[in-house]
Amino acid sequence: MNGIAWPLAMLASQLLDRDERDAVLGDLLETNESAWRGFLDVSGLVLRRQAGLWKDPRPWLAALVVALPCSYLLMDVSVSVSCTYQRLVNHKVYGWHWPTGHEGFPLLLCHIFLLLAWSWTSGYIIGSLSRRTLWASTALSLVPAVFCLHMYPSQTLPRLCLFLFLLPGLFGVRHGLQNLRISLRAASFLALAIAVLMLSAWRQQALWVLNWALLLPALYLVGAAVGRSRRERRSGSSPAGHTEVGV
Amino acid sequence: MLGEFEYLLITVAAGLGENAYGAAIREEIEATTERKCSMGALYTTIDRLEKKGLLKTWMGEATPQRGGRAKRMVRVTSPGVRAAKEFYDAVMRVSRGASWAESQTGRTS
Repeated sequence: MNGIAWPLAMLASQLLDRDERDAVLGDLLETNESAWRGFLDVSGLVLRRQAGLWKDPRPWLAALVVALPCSYLLMDVSVSVSCTYQRLVNHKVYGWHWPTGHEGFPLLLCHIFLLLAWSWTSGYIIGSLSRRTLWASTALSLVPAVFCLHMYPSQTLPRLCLFLFLLPGLFGVRHGLQNLRISLRAASFLALAIAVLMLSAWRQQALWVLNWALLLPALYLVGAAVGRSRRERRSGSSPAGHTEVGV
Repeated sequence: MLGEFEYLLITVAAGLGENAYGAAIREEIEATTERKCSMGALYTTIDRLEKKGLLKTWMGEATPQRGGRAKRMVRVTSPGVRAAKEFYDAVMRVSRGASWAESQTGRTS
């Protein structure tokens, strides 16, 4: 197998489970399929598998309800944190003041913690709900990025400031994909900490009303932990194959 | 009741015995039916039949001719054999009297 079709088949097969990918690519090599037929075969299987995955509501939830709006809101918060940091540390004032333009260090720290926590919890939900449809959630979370990069005035902050949420978000996605279990206590503590800091920022008029939506992933974690602990209590068995995080 | 392709797959897998795996099943189906069998149809049907408990699959050994990749081995379970027999019996019953089945059933239409 050579030419461009075989690398394309290999690329398409990345959307399959590892065992299935091994079996399918091995079959193609063993039967000396033509590269293009191999590519079509793999693509056909990937399409069938993806069609099956999208019958579940979770990939839709991850892509449309979490990835798309959260990436937009987190980009906004990233810029806000960058503006505040530049004003307080480098004494540079940018034209865009958000939310008040008068935050001090305590509010900056509060916003940094919130940015990290919101990004991680949103990433975690995206990773745990998307699984093999992560490509779609990723693509949808890029839509606001493309929009913002297009609209963003070049004379202001470096464009990297839009993506401060990316690293903690990626950690969250990774933990979600690994099915990292969050204990009820840890999830409740995290949600409570986020809510208290959000209330504090809100009282100082340093929180955008739409940012309350970013509390939902943390509340989802609490709900999922409650449901899991109930199921485990009912079945009376201890979970296997997970790493639990507690406080 | 099985579908036509499910019956074909179970029958071919049963015939191949210990050597039943994706590529071998596919080649046998294509040789017997003289029709192309896509990977998508093959593997999604194998999954469906395994969920119904009619097949059991596991990852076999990797060979150099497969680029060091493992085979997905297939074995027909007892419920799978029963389901295939039911399908075959049903086809034989419904075919009695059909003009194309004369030589098989010994009856004329």
